[in-house]
Amino acid sequence: MTLRSTTDRWGAIAKAFHWTIALAILGNGVFGLLMDLSHSPMQKINWLALHKSIGLTVLALALLRLLWRWFDGRPPEEPAPRWQQWSARAVHAFLYALIVAIPLSGWWFNSVTGKPLQWFKQFNLPALVPKDDTLRHFAHGVHEYLFWFLLLVLVAHVGAALKHHVFDNDNVLRRMLPFGRPRPLPDTEGDRR
Amino acid sequence: MKRPVLSSVALLLALAFPGLAAATDYTVQPAASKLGFSGSFQGETFNGNFDTWTAAIRYDPADLAHAAFDVTVTLASVKTGDSDRDSALPGSDFFDVAKFPTAHFVTTGFRRNGAQVIADGKLTLRGVTKPVSLDVTFQPAAQGATLDVDGVVHRLDFGVGGGEYADTSVIGADVKVTAHLQLTAK
Repeated sequence: MTLRSTTDRWGAIAKAFHWTIALAILGNGVFGLLMDLSHSPMQKINWLALHKSIGLTVLALALLRLLWRWFDGRPPEEPAPRWQQWSARAVHAFLYALIVAIPLSGWWFNSVTGKPLQWFKQFNLPALVPKDDTLRHFAHGVHEYLFWFLLLVLVAHVGAALKHHVFDNDNVLRRMLPFGRPRPLPDTEGDRR
Repeated sequence: MKRPVLSSVALLLALAFPGLAAATDYTVQPAASKLGFSGSFQGETFNGNFDTWTAAIRYDPADLAHAAFDVTVTLASVKTGDSDRDSALPGSDFFDVAKFPTAHFVTTGFRRNGAQVIADGKLTLRGVTKPVSLDVTFQPAAQGATLDVDGVVHRLDFGVGGGEYADTSVIGADVKVTAHLQLTAK
């Protein structure tokens, strides 16, 4: 497996970004929703600190990923109807936007509440905006609903990937799987149906 | 706290030897005075202050032997600019104002370290009494004086934020106490 993407599969770095961010943002989102299960205020403080640290990591990875995507390019799109190609592009654009917007909205929410923002107890980051109690509820809503929106977009993303894998028998999912090998291209092997 | 015997002695000395330094009793001007502190939470310094406190100050830089500070702080008057923190501090995990409504600092003696005057005293907080020392800066003025003190209190010495809150990687161990007092002579 090469580090860079090739014409028939995503490279190791693109795959690492994809799966690390997927795991981190979903895990952290569910963790964020379960925050109220903490059994003491101090545990909630520590959970929130962990949630923020993971979120900042996602933000950093997302920005690096966008840079890498710009430098690395991508495997060409598989043949599909035009509407499917455009839908895929729209879904991908939303996903890229959300993996930046969700952690950023958390940072904004944190700034509005006036709380410290520390990355795994190593260093602190500044507030994006001054403390503003009137925005607290709204900022929390934005942060949470962006995650629900991500889940909605993921239904399309995961659904389409599985549809390609299971019904179309193409390489759309295989070429992004960590250890996936692309199926031989149909035109080198003849008709596979 | 009044010390009638000491005051009388000072008064007698002053009468017997006019011009001899004698420690003066001062009244604190609350509107122009502030008792504050700063701690740290998740790597960030925060500042707080107490709105309600009283201080009896007797001081003369030339007569440290007769100087005395006696300060009582109403702990429930704490403000730090964060509603979560301000609702937690009076609770049983921190100041526990239901059991210990006030903190009390009284000096046991004054000394000089070079040019710096240091007030040694005892702080009683949350039912625990421990020695605490404060750096003292006294500035005589036309109508009285200003007095600035600062020192460090180790919160865990007094059980402020014990249990789960004892984690000093989240809540700093040291709390810096600073006070600025505007004084008028009695």
